[in-house]
Amino acid sequence: MHRITASQYANSVRDLLGSGAPIGPLDPDQLMNGFASIGSSSIVSSASAVGLYEAAANAAASWVFADPTRAKAALACVPMTATDTTCASQAISALGQRAYRRPLTTDETNRLVTLATTLAGQSGGTITIGMQYAVSAILQSPNFLYRVELGAPSAADGGRTKYNSYEMASRLASALWNTVPDGTLLDAAGKDSLSTADGVTAQAQRMMADAHAQQGMAAFVDELYALQNLHDATPDPTLFPKFTETLRSAMQTELEMRVTDMVFTTRGDYLSLLDNKTTFVNDELATLYGLPTAGSTAFRKVTLPADSPRAGILGTGAILAGLALPERTGPTKRGKFIREALLCEPIPPPPSGVVPVLPPPTDPTATMRTRLTAHRAAPTCNSCHSLMDPLGFGLENFDAIGEYRTLENGHPIDATGNLDAATFNGLAQMGTVIRNAAVSGPCFVSKVYMNAQSRQAVQADAAILDTLASGFAASGNKADQLMLSLVSSDAFRFVEPNKP
Amino acid sequence: MARSRRTIISRRAVLRGMVGGGIAVAVPLPRLAGMLNDNGTAYAAGGALPVRFGTWFFGNGIIPSRWIPPKTGVGANWELSEELSPLQAVKPYISVVTGLTIKGPDISPHKAMPVQALTAAQTGGGTVQLPTIDQAAAAITNTGTLYPIGLHVGMSTAGGTMNISWSGPNAPNAPNFSPAMLFQQLLQYANTGTGMPAAPDPSLLRRRMVLDAIAAESTSLRARLGVEDQNRLDQHLSGLHELQNQLIAAGTPRMTSATLVDPDKAYPTRGPDGNNITRMRGQAFSDLLVFAMAADLTRVFSYQFSSPSCQSEYTDAGLSGAFHEDYGHRTSPKGVQFATEGFNNGVKFAMSCLSDTLARMRNTPDGAGNLLDNSVVYTTSCVGESQTHGGTDYPIVVSGKAGGKLKGDTHVRLVGENVSRVGLTLLTALGSTASSWGMADSMATTAIPDLLV
Repeated sequence: MHRITASQYANSVRDLLGSGAPIGPLDPDQLMNGFASIGSSSIVSSASAVGLYEAAANAAASWVFADPTRAKAALACVPMTATDTTCASQAISALGQRAYRRPLTTDETNRLVTLATTLAGQSGGTITIGMQYAVSAILQSPNFLYRVELGAPSAADGGRTKYNSYEMASRLASALWNTVPDGTLLDAAGKDSLSTADGVTAQAQRMMADAHAQQGMAAFVDELYALQNLHDATPDPTLFPKFTETLRSAMQTELEMRVTDMVFTTRGDYLSLLDNKTTFVNDELATLYGLPTAGSTAFRKVTLPADSPRAGILGTGAILAGLALPERTGPTKRGKFIREALLCEPIPPPPSGVVPVLPPPTDPTATMRTRLTAHRAAPTCNSCHSLMDPLGFGLENFDAIGEYRTLENGHPIDATGNLDAATFNGLAQMGTVIRNAAVSGPCFVSKVYMNAQSRQAVQADAAILDTLASGFAASGNKADQLMLSLVSSDAFRFVEPNKP
Repeated sequence: MARSRRTIISRRAVLRGMVGGGIAVAVPLPRLAGMLNDNGTAYAAGGALPVRFGTWFFGNGIIPSRWIPPKTGVGANWELSEELSPLQAVKPYISVVTGLTIKGPDISPHKAMPVQALTAAQTGGGTVQLPTIDQAAAAITNTGTLYPIGLHVGMSTAGGTMNISWSGPNAPNAPNFSPAMLFQQLLQYANTGTGMPAAPDPSLLRRRMVLDAIAAESTSLRARLGVEDQNRLDQHLSGLHELQNQLIAAGTPRMTSATLVDPDKAYPTRGPDGNNITRMRGQAFSDLLVFAMAADLTRVFSYQFSSPSCQSEYTDAGLSGAFHEDYGHRTSPKGVQFATEGFNNGVKFAMSCLSDTLARMRNTPDGAGNLLDNSVVYTTSCVGESQTHGGTDYPIVVSGKAGGKLKGDTHVRLVGENVSRVGLTLLTALGSTASSWGMADSMATTAIPDLLV
């Protein structure tokens, strides 16, 4: 049972009720392995979480019924009298089916229709009020707030526990769109078309061509690239006056557009995002990057000059400003991110008794490289810092908000470093080194996999991860192909694909 | 006299809330004046007044040399230190325990140590292994109130994301960052001073009927789930039950010696929710929590002044820049000396805000005494010494008299002893008879007798 994440809640309510529906404050997600979807399979809702769901549902339902045109757009039928239970049933079963990701039982529909008509019959009540609260009930129901995908033994599949077609619709909508299924997907489930790999592929292909897929991919990369760091970043305003709230938001947009363009528009090599020169900027971001402005706040696709030191997603403000400290860059933070997010090599926590704070420099003009090099002289520090710092050094030409620089405290910057045996000088070369690392593709595949499954990978997933990684490489690292292979695989269609 | 300001309501008015509704509910009755004995010190039937418990948490630690009071002892024998000096007005209620140590390893900076100070156990899998102390206290003192897990507030979302209240593993009690939202919630139980109560809000009954429908609908879902998911659903349903109780009680003013203060009127310039920490936003929360406890809506709270590794600016203390980094780690571009003094001011600012909370409790009549007489407030942080993330000289302030169980006005120095001994002492003061608190390295098996009466 997965509690829908805050972004899934927002997308779902807007898809169900209308794009203007208000989204109230919700209980925060708990990230696990960096992903809200994984945390969602174990999080327990507190009483205050339930209170927030109630308030949010009442506000959204009240918004729908505040304007008859909204109600008409959101509901299959809008009853005008309390006696029109046919219309009320139609509205509730249609909305409920999308929200619960399966048809409502007769009991469930009747209970909500009775709720609506009873409220209509109370002093001061109307059928509109009744329907408003019935809609609120749908949005507060655990059947909406949790994805319930349990599977059942399938005789046709050797007794293996398999997700049924409606559960597959729920899983596809969550993994590919980050929201509830649409009518077409539920129709396919109604015909049991999602019980076969081919049926799943057919729907997944349709879904990947829909704009919702970009929304799903953006939510994934926000977590993959740990953009929470960007949201939490507090660059010192006296040192970095260029950093504004609009710039922070532009940085996130740039990264999301860069990825969705690669996956859905050019359909190119995903790993080329590590060293390519194509990106999207508005004027504020263009100024930060030293690119020409266009007199516009709109985003446009640009190609960085061939000799630009800025390259790949590691050169985006979103990553660079997110992985920095208020006054300075954070080579260790940046290196740790590269190891963990891009190379799937977790860095152990500092040993007990070690102070995880860099001592103040004896020479105030010392570069970060000098300070960290001194730090690594201690063997207890060196074992982990040698994995992180040399990667972070490759980004030292970019300051704490991602602006290019050649000097630090008056000293020329040395941006040489190494990833294991491979050496580089500067980000452009480092991006290529990481792109070419054997583990980059399989690492990305495993992150996509865990997020789609909403759980951590376990030993039993080794074979499917190998298969998907080989397929990804063979396709020329096409992320859309990876998604299609993933969702149609036995690993995604069965609870325990290998066990009867 | 305090009692005269109380609104006396009939028992019938409270019970009226019980009509209808399908969820089985225990209607919590507010404490009524007629239920107290002639001295107002205890229930007429013999039970003592309830003891309240709060966790009051501030991030980023202290400077031990400026935090530790120079002398140990009781009453006039000890004086507050520089960093504790803002607590002078409530000193008779304050005990400070210094020299304590976090016993388990610091496997995750700003997380592993506060989790041990709050649960007496190490972190596990990105979550806690045991409930936090406020929830251990809630199990003793808060059953049957309208908010059985308590009310949880926070000032800033900047930086750390570690909750300070957990009901158990994977079960965080996230703070409410909005005084205005909390005010609206509490307004349902307040006497708004308009004389005759207005006609009941029709939405209350509608909302209750929605909750009934959801509870009924969840029965068939529950039957399909495995044990683990059933437990998770049960937690969700128990949240629905609590909400149902709150809706039943809503619209009926509670007897209380405190005033419900509208934050928009009293503190219009308190700054945006979740943003930089301001003293006014802290005061707004203190007012609201004091009302909730005086009205016996809940007996438990957690107050996150600043989160572990909080980067919020302490602008009211004259500190611009990220508090954790610039001051806690002394990396301010203005130099270490500037950062050290700034950090010291930041700790004093936190203690001023703690003093605001405690003074409001002390000024609120409760039985024969005041709310602070009948409370325990546990104050700690996410590290000891801020710059080195020390696990020794861990900051601990215990406030309130726990209904006569805690001595107050005491400085005890226990060098190298387990921090968890404080929690065990406080739970003992609340009436726990358990001989230990916590697990593994962090577990405490001995209370601190010097704190107890």
